[in-house]
Amino acid sequence: MTNLLLMVTVFVFSFVVGYFLISRIPTLLHTPLMSMTNAISAVTILGVLILFSAASTRSEQIIGSVAFIMAAFNLVGGFAITDRMLRMFRKKQQGDRKS
Amino acid sequence: MMQTYTAVNLVLDFCVIGILILGIWLFRKPFLAKYGNMAAAAALACAAVLVITRNGIAHPGIVLFCLVAGAVPGYWVAKKITMIQIPAMVAFQHGAGGIAAFFLSLAELLRGAQHLGAMNEISGLLGLAIGSLTFSGSMIAGGKLSGKLGQTPTILPNHTRLVMANLGTMVVLIMAAFYAPAEAGLVFYLLIIGLSILFGILFSIRIGGADMPVLISFLNATAGVAAAFCGMIIENQLLIACGATVAASGSILTHVMCKAMNRSLFHVFVPEKTPEKAPKKPTPGPTADHDTPVPGADYDTAARAGLQPTAAQPAGETENAEPDPFEKAADLARNARTVIIVPGYGMAVAQAQFDVIDLSNLLAVMGKQVIFAIHPVAGRMPGHMNVLLAEAGVDYDMLAEMDEVNPRFSDTDLCLVIGACDVVNPAAMETDGSPISGMPILRTHEARHVICCNLDDKPGYSGVENTLYQNSNTLMLLGNAKQTIRQLADTLSGEAEGAPGVHTDPAALDDPAVRQEQNPLDTAVTKLVSAKKIIVIPGYGMALAQAQFKVLELTDLLASRGADVTFAIHPVAGRMPGHMNVLLAEAEVDYDKLVEMDDINPKFSQTDAVIVFGACDVVNPAAMEIDGSPISGMPILKAHEAKTVIVCNFDAKPGYSGVENTLYNNPKTIMLIGDALATARDLTAALKKRP
Repeated sequence: MTNLLLMVTVFVFSFVVGYFLISRIPTLLHTPLMSMTNAISAVTILGVLILFSAASTRSEQIIGSVAFIMAAFNLVGGFAITDRMLRMFRKKQQGDRKS
Repeated sequence: MMQTYTAVNLVLDFCVIGILILGIWLFRKPFLAKYGNMAAAAALACAAVLVITRNGIAHPGIVLFCLVAGAVPGYWVAKKITMIQIPAMVAFQHGAGGIAAFFLSLAELLRGAQHLGAMNEISGLLGLAIGSLTFSGSMIAGGKLSGKLGQTPTILPNHTRLVMANLGTMVVLIMAAFYAPAEAGLVFYLLIIGLSILFGILFSIRIGGADMPVLISFLNATAGVAAAFCGMIIENQLLIACGATVAASGSILTHVMCKAMNRSLFHVFVPEKTPEKAPKKPTPGPTADHDTPVPGADYDTAARAGLQPTAAQPAGETENAEPDPFEKAADLARNARTVIIVPGYGMAVAQAQFDVIDLSNLLAVMGKQVIFAIHPVAGRMPGHMNVLLAEAGVDYDMLAEMDEVNPRFSDTDLCLVIGACDVVNPAAMETDGSPISGMPILRTHEARHVICCNLDDKPGYSGVENTLYQNSNTLMLLGNAKQTIRQLADTLSGEAEGAPGVHTDPAALDDPAVRQEQNPLDTAVTKLVSAKKIIVIPGYGMALAQAQFKVLELTDLLASRGADVTFAIHPVAGRMPGHMNVLLAEAEVDYDKLVEMDDINPKFSQTDAVIVFGACDVVNPAAMEIDGSPISGMPILKAHEAKTVIVCNFDAKPGYSGVENTLYNNPKTIMLIGDALATARDLTAALKKRP
């Protein structure tokens, strides 16, 4: 029961803190924001790591592998593309642009 | 599996969550956002290290292999993808997140079925369902965004009921799986996955292209919720915290998108106008010598197999049949400003959709406003005409439903009926007691002129004579629709060559006499030369035309001439939150120049010139002026308050909302119709020639 209470507290706390922080993010950055939070949702990779921390049956391994590959794709791809997008958002000096 | 958290571990967990929150906090400022992204990535890396040190790895080989197998393609795709493909990429990644979540839930449920607590098991089942529907919904969204699937909403008969039934079954199955003995679990799990995937497909296929920002944000939130439920199965605080943060972010984005489109989430998912409400089916009358209509059958005749084209013109049409009916038809088309095309099954049988699109493009190039009016039962299956026209590459904004288009016929110069009969038969409204009495029809007879390109002038499926054919303003072009349309297009294009170019489009304006005096491009350039303050409003049209680089070239040129140029970004411009910002950032716009709606709206009244590139509804003053339209109350960019507005849109038609843009008729508006890329290039070239 204490575990359940802790989990619900963590969920509510993160949701509320996230909500207040994210509502201040300018619309300018909404696409990178979505892309980054998308990468964060690949946190399920931790769950798969825990799954693989104990001996497991063949079927668990197969299911876990699929989850792992997808999560890794999402994680790395998500952060990489967000980074690429954000690098385009930079202050430029006048005349610094390509003509 | 249960884990006993020591105090140290708890503190470490909260440290990682702290880094993640720091990352999001850094997103407030554009120049810090890059570090925010890195902080979030670092938080996840720390979390992974923590998990591995605490639990160890039993299968290092598998872990390493999967890491490489996922990360390398992920990185490669992220590097290769162009900015225009980002919406689709994000959608596909949501899908990958969904798969990971439901496979993880499945693995945990299978492993722990014997000893999972009630809370954990429920979380697992919910993770399974939400992960699966995120996956399938994202795949549909990705398909639509990448153009692999049609943009028009696909609406099945009784769609809402299907969705509800599906959802109800899912709830029942989840409860059943919870109470079922552990050995039977797998069957229930697979059923839940299957139904959830179906549910994801059902709710996303009915969402049209322009509502994608809402769908993609919503799926972002569900991916987060799925991850949080995964965390609850294994009682891992990090998963829960990250999942909840993502859910919060997705919810905010969904809310912002809905507000900006003036729609509720419910109405995006359950459209108000449900075309599946088929019109009252006429009972076959005594004249109908056909079998009872089968469900989904249409009422068009032109395509009926075995019928020979009739050369004879109907009695009332003799004066129209004079020198060449095609010349006359072409004349009608030339003089028309607004054209509505009504396709029917005859177009499908003749496979004329490509020629019809060619013709409509030709008319659009000549400056006509062209839309397609789609009757709910036109064709052989629901949405048949939409599918065919989409196949031929029609812009789905041009496809209008019956209720939406009917009030507009009386204001239309020319209506082109292609292989449709009963659905345009005025007898349905005029005569009582006939098989089609009371059937809703497209009121083509209210248009100033009608051209019927049908195979023959015989009655349609209902057997009722079509009184439209006898109207004095109806011109009959009988024969195979494909040949008729092609011949009509040829006759027209003979004239169109040498006609004014794409960009000069006085005919699309309300007051052609005034505007025709001067080339609008020259007028626009003159205004720009003297403008001190200029605001550029980009829209999805700019993205489609890939015009961002040319637009920037133009604004740079204007800035070098001493003008103060800023960009006004509407929250829902484009196909996902912040779409325009990404495109302009790609073209290396200084982000200080990208201004949000609330900040820029007070500035329009002091602005000399506004240039609109491919934006329509977001600058439509009707949202503020007219009550009761679909966009009433929607926040808009107040471009109409500027001294001059230059609209570089593809056409002068209404946007997604279907509401006429009153900005276009404003006397201070200069319309430069055509591809945004070409218009931007022409403007830049013309501007360079000025001293």
